[in-house]
Amino acid sequence: MTTTTNPDLASESAAPVRGQRWLVSLRALLRNPAHTAGLIIFILFLLIAIFGPMLAPYGVNEQIVEDARQAPSAAHWFGTDRLGRDVFSRVLLGARDIFSLAGLGTLVAVLVGTSLGLLSGYRGGLFDELLMRFFDSLLSLPALLLALLLLGTLGPSRQSVLLVIIVVYIPIVARVVRSVVLSVKTRGYIEAARVQGESSARILFREILPAVLPALAVEAALRFSYAIFLASSLGFLGVGVQPPSPDWGLMVKEARDNVSQTPWALWFPAGAISILVIAVNLLADGLKTLFRVED
Amino acid sequence: MTTHSIFGRALNTALPAILLLGLVLSACGGAAPAEGTLRVAFQPLVQTDPATISSDTEVFVANAVYDYLVDVDPDSNVVPRLATEWDINDDGLTYTFPLAEGVSFHDGSALTAEDVVWTFDRLRDPDNGYPTADLYANITGIEATGELEVTFTLDQTNPFFLYDLSDNHALVMSSDTEDPSDFNGTGPFVVESYSPEDRILLTANDDYFVDGQPQLATVEVIFFSDENAMVDALRGGQVDLVMRMSTPLFESLQGVDGITTYNIPTGGFDLVRLRADREPGNDPRVIQAMKLATDRAAILELVQQGYGAVGNDSPIGPIFDAYHDDGVQAPERDVEAARALLAEAGYEDGLDLTIHVPNSGGRPDLAAVLQDQWADAGINLEISVEPEEVYYGENGWLEVDLGITGWGARPYPQLYLDTMLVSGAVWNESHFSDEEFDALAALAGSTLDDQERIDAYSQIQQLLAERGPVIIPYHFPQFAAIRDGFTGFQLEAFAGRTDVHTIGTE
Amino acid sequence: MAVPLLQLKDLSVAYRSRRGALRAVRDLSLEIAKGQTYGLVGESGSGKTTLALAVLNYLGKDGYIESGQVLFEGADMAALDEAGLRALWQGGMAHVPQNPFTALNPSMRIGEQVAEAIALNSEIDAPEIETRVLDLLAQVRLPDPARVARAYPHEISGGQQQRVIIAIALGRQPSLLVLDEPTTALDVTTEAVVLDLLRELVRDRDTAALYVSHNLGVVAGLTDRVAVLYASELVEDAPTKELYRQPLHPYTRGLLDSVPRLGQRKDVKPLQGIEGQIPSLTDLPSGCLFAPRCPLAIDQCWEERPPLDHPTPDRRVRCHRWPEILAGEVDAGRDAVEPIQVEDYQPETILTVEQLDVQYPIQRSLADVLAGEPARYVQVVDQLDLRIRSRETLGVVGESGSGKSSLARALIGLVAAEGGEVELLGVQLPARLDARSTETLAHLQMVFQNPEEALNPYLTIAESLRRPLRNLRGMSYAEAQAMVPQLLESVRLPAEYARRLPGQLSGGEKQRVAIARAFATHPDLLLADEPVSALDVSVQANILNLLAELQNEHDTAMLFIAHDIAVVGYLADRIAVMYLGQLMQQGPAEIIFDPPYHPYTEALLSAVPPPDPFVKQEHIRLSGEVPSAADPPSGCPFHTRCPRFLGDICVEQEPPWRETQDGKAIYCHIPIEELQAAQSPVLRFNGEGD
Repeated sequence: MTTTTNPDLASESAAPVRGQRWLVSLRALLRNPAHTAGLIIFILFLLIAIFGPMLAPYGVNEQIVEDARQAPSAAHWFGTDRLGRDVFSRVLLGARDIFSLAGLGTLVAVLVGTSLGLLSGYRGGLFDELLMRFFDSLLSLPALLLALLLLGTLGPSRQSVLLVIIVVYIPIVARVVRSVVLSVKTRGYIEAARVQGESSARILFREILPAVLPALAVEAALRFSYAIFLASSLGFLGVGVQPPSPDWGLMVKEARDNVSQTPWALWFPAGAISILVIAVNLLADGLKTLFRVED
Repeated sequence: MTTHSIFGRALNTALPAILLLGLVLSACGGAAPAEGTLRVAFQPLVQTDPATISSDTEVFVANAVYDYLVDVDPDSNVVPRLATEWDINDDGLTYTFPLAEGVSFHDGSALTAEDVVWTFDRLRDPDNGYPTADLYANITGIEATGELEVTFTLDQTNPFFLYDLSDNHALVMSSDTEDPSDFNGTGPFVVESYSPEDRILLTANDDYFVDGQPQLATVEVIFFSDENAMVDALRGGQVDLVMRMSTPLFESLQGVDGITTYNIPTGGFDLVRLRADREPGNDPRVIQAMKLATDRAAILELVQQGYGAVGNDSPIGPIFDAYHDDGVQAPERDVEAARALLAEAGYEDGLDLTIHVPNSGGRPDLAAVLQDQWADAGINLEISVEPEEVYYGENGWLEVDLGITGWGARPYPQLYLDTMLVSGAVWNESHFSDEEFDALAALAGSTLDDQERIDAYSQIQQLLAERGPVIIPYHFPQFAAIRDGFTGFQLEAFAGRTDVHTIGTE
Repeated sequence: MAVPLLQLKDLSVAYRSRRGALRAVRDLSLEIAKGQTYGLVGESGSGKTTLALAVLNYLGKDGYIESGQVLFEGADMAALDEAGLRALWQGGMAHVPQNPFTALNPSMRIGEQVAEAIALNSEIDAPEIETRVLDLLAQVRLPDPARVARAYPHEISGGQQQRVIIAIALGRQPSLLVLDEPTTALDVTTEAVVLDLLRELVRDRDTAALYVSHNLGVVAGLTDRVAVLYASELVEDAPTKELYRQPLHPYTRGLLDSVPRLGQRKDVKPLQGIEGQIPSLTDLPSGCLFAPRCPLAIDQCWEERPPLDHPTPDRRVRCHRWPEILAGEVDAGRDAVEPIQVEDYQPETILTVEQLDVQYPIQRSLADVLAGEPARYVQVVDQLDLRIRSRETLGVVGESGSGKSSLARALIGLVAAEGGEVELLGVQLPARLDARSTETLAHLQMVFQNPEEALNPYLTIAESLRRPLRNLRGMSYAEAQAMVPQLLESVRLPAEYARRLPGQLSGGEKQRVAIARAFATHPDLLLADEPVSALDVSVQANILNLLAELQNEHDTAMLFIAHDIAVVGYLADRIAVMYLGQLMQQGPAEIIFDPPYHPYTEALLSAVPPPDPFVKQEHIRLSGEVPSAADPPSGCPFHTRCPRFLGDICVEQEPPWRETQDGKAIYCHIPIEELQAAQSPVLRFNGEGD
């Protein structure tokens, strides 16, 4: 028994006015140093993704023959790779790549997964049963394995990786959304809405969707971090984005062959992946605490 | 019958040297007992039937266990092995080979001309389905014209026939062979034990017919599936010899105490080619602009880290000492000239192309470097990196406009011309069709006059550098590293053909 | 005077929170003598639970004693080390929480859990413990103690679980029982049994008890003294009978006036709820904490915090005006509430329900389905007939599991009835809500039980109110928006609430919005399913009155469902009593409290704890539990528990409906005359009061 259920304090829960809610949320998020760090790093990477092309001192594929395979220096902060390309510039430019790939993939997966989850959870019945069994079968495979299977048929390309992220994460998002829908749809206000003559579409998108959003925000953040990881893994395995794209995973893969010569060309993209994944995970954790989303 | 020198200066210098070596060795007491062990790191062995071998390991082991009728030395000259010499009649259609005396198989049976006949009949019979069937299609007959003499008859002249006889698969086997994987050769080493996935142990053949060979008592070929592990084993002293490795690994062995490294250019190369039969490549100015936009030295430095050799857009590379013309140079990089040519060809606003690249070797890197270099001249490349099975699958590589293809080493340059560049050739990926070229190639491939051939090859090199549909920016290097204490190591461009029987201990 | 068992001295308890310390109990002093039963009443937010937890030294990581002392048997609890505290929890005090299920370990057998409590503070050997366990389980009136001892918590009912908790508490042989709403989660008839048990135990064992409750009825019947808490302060403390006879604090008076007595009716003596709501602990008024809601507040009350006075040596009250109240010069009772007029209802029937069947399928495992097991159903409403006349309020009373909520849900169409016909205004209604016309939806509306769930927390109040207007009355957005202030005003809420989200409203306010929403379509029939059961008593009264007023205003008929027979009696014109999906009795509300009764009604009336210590109540207790609706008894559904069980006829035959001359109908094999002769009124008032 804990005091959090103390009825004496029941009326004391914070109830901010609409509009201030985001501000309050942000303040609550910033209370935890780890979450704050996650947010700051995420924003930093986001800025890099947006302004990277302006900041990068060299072109993505610009080769400086005389500077090839140089250790980090003032001229090349992260050194140069085997082809004389500036690793710092490539890491900066890769940020946009990974954000657009993982971000877009996550976005589409979240949109489609949410719609399917809403529909499946609300309608129930055979549709729900079949869809969920299908998703279960997809989820029974590890994400990477499923991705490799799909890429085996699609062939490696940026579009394929995008599709893979979408296909791999739709079932997960749909499941999360569905579980929230199942818990919400028996709520009094949904029944009340039906009694007030609301259409199913409006019940789904106006009455149920807002309740799904907190869990969805957390899930989207988590999916984003896993998508970064998945895209990088596929790049690393050589079945994802193809050279000479500055995909971080691909950079790690390419640098691995030359690790004895140019270890820095491996450290920096690998570090960028880890830092971004950790940051997004911290952020997801923060959102989870913030929205009090249960696991 | 006259003993015919086919390769002019090459043979003139090489043959006496070898004969001299034999004399020196026999003078030193001939059968000095073999001693010492060489441990070689290689990929695991898969095929053991000489007719089907292909990897370096397979060829390396076969070359130690069996003998070729004739061999090719590191300078691409044909040298005797089981055949002591050869005689070619005047029409160039009949080859007669006397065989060395006192040669016996590891099972004790003596080598006879019948064994050679059996071996080549097996390799050339189309029903057997071996890759050599095409190679030997122009042989009309093989006969044992004596106990120790074999005569080959051809239906047309083939100045490279001796090279064909030295094909990797052409290892002489006993005509009594029941199991082609039984390692019953006449070669310098006998298979002592073979454990797949682990190692194969070879011991010196004490009855080997060449005096003074082999010098080593045992050779252990230890299997590795990973290059890094091989190099680590070399550093750690678990193996003595590593051949074929990536450039970064080779770089990492430079200056390591107790290890000597070797690198040589090979005949192999990466080929950038543009289809010449349709837009934009049907306008020769486009490929010329590409040539002008290319900085070959920078490419060699970036993609091959300076190893190998700069290419001049012709497959007749420096390894073909007899035919390579040092005077032929691909054009120097001149971006402005390239732009001007493109503008003349109607691409003043730039040319957008997709370059198809198999995802292997340095080819993606080459594409990346070209993308950067060509962009200066207004050629904008979209790079499509494809798995090899996609790139080569369903002959897609023959269809695309712009592609990069890797070509391995060949024993003589005519093979490249005939399969890659003459009109209608089976792998004419550039769809090149040039009457002058075709005539020169036909002449070089049939004349028995060495000088005529040398001249034709020189003109071909000039022609390709100027208007050939291909860019050959570099020839691959071959790498090897050996621990100190061994002598007589001579790296071959095809690492598997490196002779182990000439290696000894200090 | 001997040392009191428990003594609280100027106790202040606070919680650490994001917004600083929240003082939930302030400057509270209290003494409980050995064997004394002390009631602690107040609404949510009054601090009563915190006080109970402080006594148990069980405040959790954020709670702490800010000042003052808790002395148990003269020893300061704050000074106790861990071992001392454990000893205290083991032997000195025992806690009976509100929710029994969370207090039991779900993975241990009941017997083990009771044995553990016994073993903690007595050195007896195993066989003896086993005897004691069975003893204790028998003492708390658990049927078949041996079976219960072997059971896991989930295998027994909520009432039985609560009795197990009490057995565990008793196993520790405590000198003080701290009971926190121990019967709130239970049905009335079960509650009565548990309360009997507690009463008996306290009396026989000389155990003292601190009984925390919001239920004035329970406290009236059980305690010796009562302390009333309001917004963290003790406002009144008196012997129970004196407190109920003459409350000196206007808040106490308000609480008592908010609760309907059995037989109290809206048209005769309307309830007088307390206006406003309990202040937030972070924003307390500077003067008397109750002043903003007090009908007697004068300037002094706003400015100066009243001291805790002793009007008599035995009583304490914190009010500036107690002398005037004691002398009868002022009356805290509100005159503002007019009796609610009941117009003679029209004879025409607007709702006819015939042979209504509602079933829920029992989930079958896949294995069962494959094995061809037939689908099984829980029959929650069984062949029910019902009529509601225009403008009439039909009250349906029943315990949980009686099917009363399912009846409402089937009528509104949220669950599809399996059989039977429902006709509203001459139109036969499709079973499913989705199949019903817009007109039907507008004619038939519903107010749900839980105000916390009635409104979508993500939609503004205005949006929630606009929806029925737009969907069911075809209004444009602008028209609907223009109606919002009017709707809010109709439920006495300020217009600026339109922009708020439900999270910014109190429970009562949310229920008002829900009511406004239900009336927005001018329904002919309103279904109200326990609309006040989740609300504090002071709020309940206002909501009940509001419902009645709006009903009059809109000429709406109402099906009012509640478990509290007093509440139903207050509001309804006719009352139907439901048991296991069937009606047991129906008739005019005025005569439900008079014999003859259906034996179930009789037991129900006897079980309700009247909020009045002077009422004499017949003692009738039902044995056993409500049978499962998956396997309902044959014949009369009540026969398994009926105190007036006749014999085979009750088991074998469905009883007939028997009618009295004044319109009461009883579903029983016993003839009306015999019932009349055998039954005396369950409740007798001692002349005073009403």
